[in-house]
Amino acid sequence: MRIRPVPAILAGAVLVAASGYAIALPTAAGFIEPLARQAQAAIAGEGGHGVSARFATSTGAPSRHPVLVGGGNLSEATRARVAQAVAAVPGVGGVFWRNGSIRAGSGQDRYEPLHCQDDVEGLLRSRSIRFEEGSNRMLPASELLLDEVADALRPCLGAIISITGHTDNSGTEPGNTALSMQRAQAVREALVRRGIPRDGLRAKGVGPARPAEGLTPEDPANRRIEFAVIRTGPLTPTPVDTPGAH
Amino acid sequence: MPVWFELAVTMLAAYGAGIAIGWGLWGRKGADTRRDDTRG
Repeated sequence: MRIRPVPAILAGAVLVAASGYAIALPTAAGFIEPLARQAQAAIAGEGGHGVSARFATSTGAPSRHPVLVGGGNLSEATRARVAQAVAAVPGVGGVFWRNGSIRAGSGQDRYEPLHCQDDVEGLLRSRSIRFEEGSNRMLPASELLLDEVADALRPCLGAIISITGHTDNSGTEPGNTALSMQRAQAVREALVRRGIPRDGLRAKGVGPARPAEGLTPEDPANRRIEFAVIRTGPLTPTPVDTPGAH
Repeated sequence: MPVWFELAVTMLAAYGAGIAIGWGLWGRKGADTRRDDTRG
């Protein structure tokens, strides 16, 4: 009997994956236990009173990427040291605090001014703010992105950000251009409400003229906002960047 | 990321590498052999 290679290879892959799952189920706890012990010792060594490392996913499956819980009364510097100490335990993967922030990723100050520019560009490289059809009302998920953009912009002074509104091609051209401008202005006002100086924000609308890459003009995903840093200017540290400043 | 997922992915990667190496070493030769079987 001739065996067809593709189904055989796929069946083998399924078998291998199932084997991995079956092997990990009884052994993962024994693998995680010493990691948890060492992590707790590392936490105590850095003065992380009240902090515990949870080596499990949200579904309860053992994981070598711990979530740090507690320690709300500790300083940011102590929390960062604790996370770095846990991450330094051999076998431990990425360390997260329960609030979702990553403290072990960098040993440098979080608000170092030179990083601000990179943070904003990183946020906006792959995501965009989207709207309901025919409206300048943002979709709820975009509010979260705006929060992140505002957080990334806050430590910066001097950066000029261009906010460009886009629409799909349903409706009239003048109406769409006006709508895209309203959307850009809505985003600008949302950022101003989040504490970003209005002087650094430029809003404009281009209507359906520039559909997103890979999309047809009528695609609803064209209803979006894009950001571009058009002038970085001198990045002056604000008081939040310079601990101890008054 | 759970441990079982990391283990399964690692094993799949090793499986894929094994398949690729095996295919590189014997895949072409096996195809030739099968063609020979059809003669005569």
